[in-house]
Amino acid sequence: MSLQNLGALLWLVPLGGVIIILYLLRMKRRDLRVPATFLWPERTEEIRANSLFQRLRFSWLLVLQLLALTLIVFAIAKPQTKQRGLTGEVTVIVVDASASMGATDVEPTRFDAAKRLAKEAVESAKPGDRIALIEAGPNPRVVFSLSNDPRKQVRSIDTMSRSDAEVDIGEALRLAAALVGTEESARIVLLSDGVFEPVKDFSRGKASLIFQSIGKSDHNLAITALGVADTGQGRQVYVGVRNPSGAQLSGKVNLYADGKLLDSEKVTINTDKSWGKTVAAPAGTSLIEARLDADDFLKSDNYAVALANPGASLRVLLVGKGDFFIERALSLDPRVTLDRASEVPMGERGAGPGGVYDVVVFDGTPAVPVKARGVLSLGSVGALTPVTRVGSTKTPDFVSAENVKLMDGVDFRNVYIETMQKVRPKPEGKVVATSNDGPLLVSSSGDQRQVYLAFEPLQSDFPLSVSFPIFIANVLDFLGGDEGTGDLAIRAGQTFSIPASKPILLTKPDDEVAEIPSNGSTAVVRDVKTVGKYGLRVDGKQRSVYATLRSDRESKIAPEVDVELGGGAIKAVRSPMRFADFWRPLLLLCLLVLAGEWWLFTRKS
Amino acid sequence: MVTLLEPREFRLLEGLRFNPRKSFTGKIRGERLTKKKGISIEFSDYREYSEGDDLRHLDWNVLARLESPIMKTYRDEEDLAVHLLIDASESMSFGEPAKQATADHLATALGYVGLAAGDALYPRRIGVRENPMAALRGRSSIVRLNAYLTSTKGEAKPEFSLSNTLRSFANSSARTGLVILLSDGMDPEIEGAIRAMGGRGHELWFIQILSDIELDPDLEGDLRLLDAEGEGKVEITANSYALRAYLDNLRRHNAMIRDAVLRIGGRYALANSAATVESILRDTLKREGWVQ
Repeated sequence: MSLQNLGALLWLVPLGGVIIILYLLRMKRRDLRVPATFLWPERTEEIRANSLFQRLRFSWLLVLQLLALTLIVFAIAKPQTKQRGLTGEVTVIVVDASASMGATDVEPTRFDAAKRLAKEAVESAKPGDRIALIEAGPNPRVVFSLSNDPRKQVRSIDTMSRSDAEVDIGEALRLAAALVGTEESARIVLLSDGVFEPVKDFSRGKASLIFQSIGKSDHNLAITALGVADTGQGRQVYVGVRNPSGAQLSGKVNLYADGKLLDSEKVTINTDKSWGKTVAAPAGTSLIEARLDADDFLKSDNYAVALANPGASLRVLLVGKGDFFIERALSLDPRVTLDRASEVPMGERGAGPGGVYDVVVFDGTPAVPVKARGVLSLGSVGALTPVTRVGSTKTPDFVSAENVKLMDGVDFRNVYIETMQKVRPKPEGKVVATSNDGPLLVSSSGDQRQVYLAFEPLQSDFPLSVSFPIFIANVLDFLGGDEGTGDLAIRAGQTFSIPASKPILLTKPDDEVAEIPSNGSTAVVRDVKTVGKYGLRVDGKQRSVYATLRSDRESKIAPEVDVELGGGAIKAVRSPMRFADFWRPLLLLCLLVLAGEWWLFTRKS
Repeated sequence: MVTLLEPREFRLLEGLRFNPRKSFTGKIRGERLTKKKGISIEFSDYREYSEGDDLRHLDWNVLARLESPIMKTYRDEEDLAVHLLIDASESMSFGEPAKQATADHLATALGYVGLAAGDALYPRRIGVRENPMAALRGRSSIVRLNAYLTSTKGEAKPEFSLSNTLRSFANSSARTGLVILLSDGMDPEIEGAIRAMGGRGHELWFIQILSDIELDPDLEGDLRLLDAEGEGKVEITANSYALRAYLDNLRRHNAMIRDAVLRIGGRYALANSAATVESILRDTLKREGWVQ
């Protein structure tokens, strides 16, 4: 047993002294004349005192009061005992629900083992212990907040589900710290395999941090690359498999083109090595799937999908000072893989094919010639921009817009624009929207598609309107080529938006159907958490969404013993100990002593 | 003048006489037979005639038959000295009604019994400084007795404690006789005084009068008890322990008085100050043969 507040014991001396002094005080008794005093025994019980002074006499009341004081002071000193257990007085359990937790090296999965540990912790919690649980998935979720209701908590744990996504465990830990970081005796328990990026921006506050590592093996093969490219030899498919484990592993890679087997090969890959192969795909192939049949512990990275149509996935480079609204709007598009830069890399400059990026967005930065298929210029004019700048104007009013796909769901009428460039369209430029001071939106279609917006979004309240993400999606459709079937290939766990005027129906790989509401123009899809093919019914049209893992970090499933959390290494505990507070029994005992003291007092008086 | 007895009580007392266990020598002729030979009509014995004998007591029948002069002797009738000792110490002022009132009332009643029976009644307050009163005789003296008992009593002093006063009385030249003591007996040294009384030849009748304050004290809290008759002070916490100890002491003290009185051939009775004279007479004095 140890004391958390040792200094409280110092109170024992003065308070005990006060009690003893009270007993040194002599009682001033009420005078009463009686016929004779010789029959009365000299029997006094000093239970009250209001006069100075007398010799200290033995009194059970004094003994009991000193005992009660001692118990109270010891209770205030917060004695605690060391016991085995995950939870403490206040605990937040963070369960890693990332893809690597689906590894089956622990039966049935690491995630199920974590849930079992969480259940055991909840069931073994002492009365008065408060426990919260956070599911660390793509979007951290508080499964239950701080409470003490084991039955309800266990039921809530059953509702937890794993994702096949790469998870930022830091978000969940920050949420946990926000819940209990200010409490002295709180603890944050992380149940994870430690397969996550080091968490930098995290402070646990006053809470202690306990990491329980789950997992035994690192045996895993993963499809790390699958791409389709149109080359001089026709459409080519590249597939790559990596062995991040510490042992040589074998498997069989099967490639399918539009559902038909294209190639199959047995592979044996040494530790920390990769294998790759390029296969010619039939012309017109739109869907390439790779399946890896291997005796490894993580299945979700044994499947990959590549869509052949150019608009199915877009690599976008955002060039500028940085605009949160544009970044967010771009990120919401399921096709987009976004990079940011303050200027265009040299390799991307120039003209013609060969660039890495499909679309380059110039945000307030003059557009330079780039190899990308499309360019979006926001409030900036470059050499290839389909307008010529003639000046600038303030607070223009929207006048009209063409009825084109670029303007579907976009409304400039109520947009307040502080400053706008005054431009004159070039011959190839098509004015899509105009204001009273000239063109607002100009597009051009040629070898390289261009869209020009006459103002920087941050110079207006356009980013705050619901039209903004729709506008960005329309621009990406236009710049991406408007081709393809509308199928999507995304990372599992990714949240994306789909233009939809009505609620959409999402059919999951297990055929469960979920309805996703629409705000009239867009629906935000968050439920694509596991790897597989999903069906989307959007405004009467059927689309497919292919969710894959494709994460080198998650595929490296070796359980970590040391993890970097908040700037410090945290070691996994084998047998977590908890300090159980002992002050409640002391207070109870004190109450019993006081009750006994009161009984004695009333009996004597 | 306040009359201590009511007409109903006079009727109750009429015809009663004290019934002492001992015989005492009288001072004057009275109505109570003694062991002495006298001139009453109560035959006692025969004896030889001697010169100077009153020929009226010669048994003529025996003389005629035996020709021997034989005198008939008779028991004498003398008065009985009844000392009525009423404790008037401070402790007698406690109780509801006060023990003093009950003692005075009872003393008047017992005094009337003695006066009506022709006894010589010596009323005397003890525990206070007072000169002894002359003997009262005859029913008519009830007025004087009443006046005495209702008069202002003398000054109480510690040296006139119950035991001291009784010892003084025992050592005095007072006529040996029946001593009726009406007191609460609240004196730790009373046993010696009772023994002295017995040694002097008195027959002691002790009627101990206690009030509810003594018999069932209703005290609470932390108290300093001041002795009504002295400097004694006792500090107590009036809890169940203290009350139980007091009642034990009281029971032992009363038993000690009773035993001392019985040992010298006296009688003892314990009366509650709330009891009526009628009930004391009926339930104790008559039933136990103190009076007849």
